Amino acid sequence: MKKIFFIPTVLMVLLTACTKDLEQLPITDKELSKFLTTEIEVEEYVVSTYASLQTNGLYGLYLPAMGEIPSDNTYDEVPANDGAIYGDMDEFKTVPQNGMIADNWRASYVTIQRCNVVLNRIENVPFRIAITKNARMGEMKFIRALIYFNLVQLYGDIPLAIDETKDPNFYFGKGRQLVAEVYNQITKDLTEAIQVLPTTTTQAGRVIKTAAQALLGKVYLTQKKYTDAKIQLDAVIASNAHSLLPSTADIFSLTNENNREIIFAIQFASGVNSNTEGSIMYQQFAPTGLISGAKGHNLPTRELYNKYTITDTRRGNYIALTTGNVPFNNKLKRPTVPADGGSDIVVLRFADIVLMQAEVETELGNITIAQAALNRIRNRAALANTTATTQILLRDAIELERRLELVGEGYRWFDLLRTGKAITTMNAWFTAENKPISVTSKFLLFPIPQNQIDTDPTIKQNEGYN
Amino acid sequence: MVNQLKLLLLVSICCLTQMVKAQQIAQIKGSVLSETGELLSGVSVITTQVGSKEKLIATTNERGLFSFNNLKGGSKYNFMFSHFGYEDYALNNFVVNNGENNSLLVRLKVTTSSLSDVVVVGYGTQQKRFVTGSVAKVSGQEISNFSGNNFAQQLSGKASGIQINESSGQPGTNPQIVIRGIGTLTAGRNPLIVVDGFPLTEGTSFNFINTNDIESIEVLKDPASASIYGSRAANGVILISTKKSKSDKFSTAIDAFTGYQQRADNIEYIDAYDAATYFAEARDWGYVSKNPANRSITDDRATRIAKGASLRELPLNYLTPYLNKNAGLVNTNWINEIFRQAPMSNINVAISGGNGKTSYYTSFNYFNQEGLLLNNGIKRFSSTIKLNTKLSEKAEFGITLNPSYTNQLFFNTNGGFDEPIGAALAMYPFFKPYNNDGSLAISQQIIANAPEDGALTENPVATLKLIKNNRSFFRLFGNGYINYTIAKGLKYKFTVGGDFGQSFFDFYNPSNLGSYRIPAPKPAIASETNTSLTNYLLEHTLAYSKNINKHDFNILIGYSYQKENNFSTAVTGDNIVDDNVRNIGGASTFSANPNRDRWVQVSYLSRLQYIFDEKYIASFAYRADGSSRFGDNNKWGKFPSVTAGWIFSKEHFFPKQSIISFGKIRATWGRSGNNQIGSYGSLAIVTGGNPANNYIWGNNVAAGFSANTTPNPNLSWETNTSYNIGLDVQVFKKIDITAEYYTATTSNLLLNVPVPQQSGFTTALQNIGELQNRGLDISISANQLNLGKLQWNINANISFNNNKVLSLAPGQTQIIAGNLANIITKVGSQVAEFYGYQVTGVFKTQDELNNTPKLPGSLLGDLMVKDINNDGLIDTKDWAPMGAYAPKFTYGFSNTFTYKNFQLTFSLVGVEGRKVFESNFATREESGEGFAMPTKYYFENRYHPVNNPNGFLGQPNYGNFSAARRAVRASNLFIFDADFLRLRDLQLAFNLPSSVVKKAGLTNLRMYVGANNLFTITKYRGYNPEATPNSVLSNGQSTSNYPIARTIIIGCNITL
Repeated sequence: MKKIFFIPTVLMVLLTACTKDLEQLPITDKELSKFLTTEIEVEEYVVSTYASLQTNGLYGLYLPAMGEIPSDNTYDEVPANDGAIYGDMDEFKTVPQNGMIADNWRASYVTIQRCNVVLNRIENVPFRIAITKNARMGEMKFIRALIYFNLVQLYGDIPLAIDETKDPNFYFGKGRQLVAEVYNQITKDLTEAIQVLPTTTTQAGRVIKTAAQALLGKVYLTQKKYTDAKIQLDAVIASNAHSLLPSTADIFSLTNENNREIIFAIQFASGVNSNTEGSIMYQQFAPTGLISGAKGHNLPTRELYNKYTITDTRRGNYIALTTGNVPFNNKLKRPTVPADGGSDIVVLRFADIVLMQAEVETELGNITIAQAALNRIRNRAALANTTATTQILLRDAIELERRLELVGEGYRWFDLLRTGKAITTMNAWFTAENKPISVTSKFLLFPIPQNQIDTDPTIKQNEGYN
Repeated sequence: MVNQLKLLLLVSICCLTQMVKAQQIAQIKGSVLSETGELLSGVSVITTQVGSKEKLIATTNERGLFSFNNLKGGSKYNFMFSHFGYEDYALNNFVVNNGENNSLLVRLKVTTSSLSDVVVVGYGTQQKRFVTGSVAKVSGQEISNFSGNNFAQQLSGKASGIQINESSGQPGTNPQIVIRGIGTLTAGRNPLIVVDGFPLTEGTSFNFINTNDIESIEVLKDPASASIYGSRAANGVILISTKKSKSDKFSTAIDAFTGYQQRADNIEYIDAYDAATYFAEARDWGYVSKNPANRSITDDRATRIAKGASLRELPLNYLTPYLNKNAGLVNTNWINEIFRQAPMSNINVAISGGNGKTSYYTSFNYFNQEGLLLNNGIKRFSSTIKLNTKLSEKAEFGITLNPSYTNQLFFNTNGGFDEPIGAALAMYPFFKPYNNDGSLAISQQIIANAPEDGALTENPVATLKLIKNNRSFFRLFGNGYINYTIAKGLKYKFTVGGDFGQSFFDFYNPSNLGSYRIPAPKPAIASETNTSLTNYLLEHTLAYSKNINKHDFNILIGYSYQKENNFSTAVTGDNIVDDNVRNIGGASTFSANPNRDRWVQVSYLSRLQYIFDEKYIASFAYRADGSSRFGDNNKWGKFPSVTAGWIFSKEHFFPKQSIISFGKIRATWGRSGNNQIGSYGSLAIVTGGNPANNYIWGNNVAAGFSANTTPNPNLSWETNTSYNIGLDVQVFKKIDITAEYYTATTSNLLLNVPVPQQSGFTTALQNIGELQNRGLDISISANQLNLGKLQWNINANISFNNNKVLSLAPGQTQIIAGNLANIITKVGSQVAEFYGYQVTGVFKTQDELNNTPKLPGSLLGDLMVKDINNDGLIDTKDWAPMGAYAPKFTYGFSNTFTYKNFQLTFSLVGVEGRKVFESNFATREESGEGFAMPTKYYFENRYHPVNNPNGFLGQPNYGNFSAARRAVRASNLFIFDADFLRLRDLQLAFNLPSSVVKKAGLTNLRMYVGANNLFTITKYRGYNPEATPNSVLSNGQSTSNYPIARTIIIGCNITL
């Protein structure tokens, strides 16, 4: 019997050594403190930063809708669908509990944080080629600036975070930063990005120098800094890296993605990796009956469709009609599997640059240059030269041309905000539509998501939404 | 409480007397035995001469002997024998003869009192009378009255302080066990389940524990009792002891029952004709209300389109015959189509015996419970093998193994539109489940409703019949031990335990079944998940007990090591071209999601119990736990406890003839912990390699990784510190009363704190905040109350609890949860309180609408709500607290009546002060949105200016369902009183007379009829008044939970 006693005694001795077992590291996951130490790991983090641009809260679904559905360009087929998150925006009834806003806000800051992590750590990581390291820093600064630029236009004053989060409690009580401060950060990031970004890339979809210049031009234009904007836009045009494609049918073709007209686009593809790199946007933004599971959100209005003249090549190429004569966004191409759309979501393209050039030159009083720019867009669409000859007329002509050229790309609401025409345009629109809806200045900003305010009451709600 | 039945008083007296005339000094000797002939030591013997007051006292020695030397020969004496655990015995007017030849032989009967019970506590047992902590004991006999497969279901109402929430009736689902209130907000809420000394992983399924094998269940309710389990004990500890052989005799027991189940809810929908009225009203008013000046209810389809009507404002053409009240149209009651009467049966064979040194117990069980839903249910085959043997005088060895195989046909029932119950609520009665040829009617409603955007739901009968969701589980757990007596009173025990689980989930959704919005055919979906669990335990304990005069010492020290590995691989198959092979084998591309984790716990434990003179009890326990789950700076937690007890009825000043036969007061203080977070909760995990993190450069996929949690090297246990005071009293030797008051404070809550989102995170796991539970548990039990020939056992209990949040993160005053963000946990209030508007009526006139404070966007027919803060505006500042799911009190009441060979048993369970927020009613059935099916209650009380002008619920409105109406979803209309009183179990049994049984060659034969949940008295109109999700913060949010069953069974117990 002594032997029986012996066995556990031996085990006991063995076991006392087991307290070191209390250090357990993840087996199928990595851990942040041991990550981002090599070039490969930095690249992986950079990839996930781009990946977060694909999420529903950003370019995967909501951001293009938020940039357009409040405007006269698009409407919601069934406003009550999906908790009325689109319908309420369309009809100026947005509440702070709106799920689209909550998702957009969260996804924006998740993306920014990924940029912050990379920017905080990349300095100490050795890269085989220094240019690559610089490029990655530029890419992260561009993406951070892009997200802040969207946020500041949508929400006004916003919390500004540019450091890696070590302790999330740090942000309690920090409140919102002024619009001007946010713009300073955006300008700083883009200026620095321009200095380090390469002019071309072998990986389609990466941020390049002209993207940062184009975005900075748009940032300046939005702030009405026309001279500064002109410098950046002219640089993009002078770079010769981009051009207008001759045919409007080719720009959004699935077989011609990342063409010369595209400056920066969020990448999607159908049928890849078990249909996980596609977008649900086509299905969500298709009118009933166009595809299985169609949701009818953010549809182009009939009124806009009618604004294309018969000869305009964009009619059909940009907006087409269903068999039931309902206009739909034909820049998104029909996928085989409904929720696996392959169309890239264009953030910046050359036609936008040319139209911004027209706008800047108009404001600077250079009517001829403005007309020439506007005509480049018109002529490509098989339209005659503009008849607008004055600054005032050109403003209206450019506004219309932007609607016709950029419909479905999520720009119209930002254009209305920039030009200060949102309230008058929308009230006229609802009157014409016979809808008893009145737009007031409170609607120029979206509400801060309620859950952010619930978490940290020092973040105050935008006026009118309390 | 114990059930010690059917012992009859058996006292035999032997007296030898000798007649002697002269009065001399006399001596008397005697011995005291138990009924079974065991010599009893320590029996108190008191004698008084008849007519005198002088008492002589003696105590039996270890051989059961006592003597009195100075008695008066020829006189009469009264004797009183008393001993703990035995009934007192009085012998009166006994004549003591002269000389030394007087002798007595007394047999004492074991008392039916529960006080003599032995109670299992962590790492040992204690006599119930010396227990100072809060331990509830429930016997296997008591729980077996509820026929089922799950000990937690059976525990409902059986003991104070333990609340069982059967939140889903799906067979095989664990009910929630809440012991003395919920002490955590976002960490795991599961109590620790210890089976025969083996602590199972928290949250493990209870299906693997065969209830037929349970001898008793002890629940350690206060942290002082539970602290011996340290960091895993804060939610309470449930100790399950399984049966073993009771004697050497070979014995076979067969228990079998069979019966059927049916729905036990109160839900009621309307028929097709009323539904047609409802949908038409909703579409018409939606259309008109958008612009009453320009639109009219009589506008036809074309006019409506011309006036810009959206799809939801168009009439549904197929409703016309219904609105015309044509007879004989399709009128499907979908609830009746998806649910059924479902059989349940169980057979258990237990064989036991032994040979003096070795004993064995083994059982075989087959349990089959079909679900109330079609094609849903659980089947289990299980066994228990137990062997104990004495290797020598000093060494003992034992082993227990519990293998089981379970097969489950599972459906999600969280209210989603692709889930059978969620879909049935959105199925219109105008559609049929089957075509005329008997085949399943597929996607008919989706197709018919698409042009006007009605509910686009797939036939749930088809979902139930076509989807394969087969889950199988193999599980083996058990342990082996060696006991070795090193010296007298000093015992060493070595235990090795193990728990091995394999499960396989096989899912296939064929292409001929549509899903919400999407008609069939659509691509088939296949997936399978393999998981494996390996958990092992090594334990060494050393126990020493010593008695020195009146001092009793019990000392325990121990070491424990437990390690668990989990693996899972989920594989999803895509590009399934045909439905030929109905599993992932039919797919042409695959994606896999692997997951592994591991945790380790190392513990040192100790306990000292000291008893003085069987009156004063004190104990100290201390456990130190190290866990791999916590941050580098806080790996070790320390869990002490102190207890004290005083058996005042043993004091000399306490009147011996009092109606109070036993009395004890006790107090405890102790700490325990909760470690239920993920295995790597303290680390910032970088995830990726999955679609959400991947990106595509042109057409080349690149893998991305990023952190999705925040690091916290200081992360540590939640600590529950509690005080408990208790009073145990026994009156008339039959009735036990226990009352306990406790206060338990959980500090360093493991809280998923919502954090400002500019941090890049929405929540972060931190040790922050404090939560307090206070309450009172009272229980009364009485055994063998004789009412003539009728014998009555009763057990009643009531438990009060209230909780309060003392603090959250710095600067954080509340946590908001729930589908409608109206379940709020506020500092200073109770956990998960429902908030909402107080609805006061319906806007029926433009005048009311213009002159009453209202929610922005309110229309005619919308709801008027109270302006609580009187600021003329209606916003969330006008929300009022409306109660919570956690009840004010719960109670249970169990009775057994025995009359001759008949036995009637029943238990009532009740809950008071509970609210349930039926979020599906708020968004569907009773919202008036004209999308899903309304309940009968809503339909009969809806407002419609013509059809129902006196209605008080919002007017049906589909196309223009306002933001105001959506806001009023958070209101008193959907926060229901969910109090209930339920006849939990009922059993009428008949024991065949032994003469008959013997002839059949049996030892015992008992036959019974029984019922579970025969009736429930409740005002709740939804599916299940116990409905709640697992998340503490949204406690009581119901989403059409699977209803629980009313069950009728017949059964028998046979002993060969």
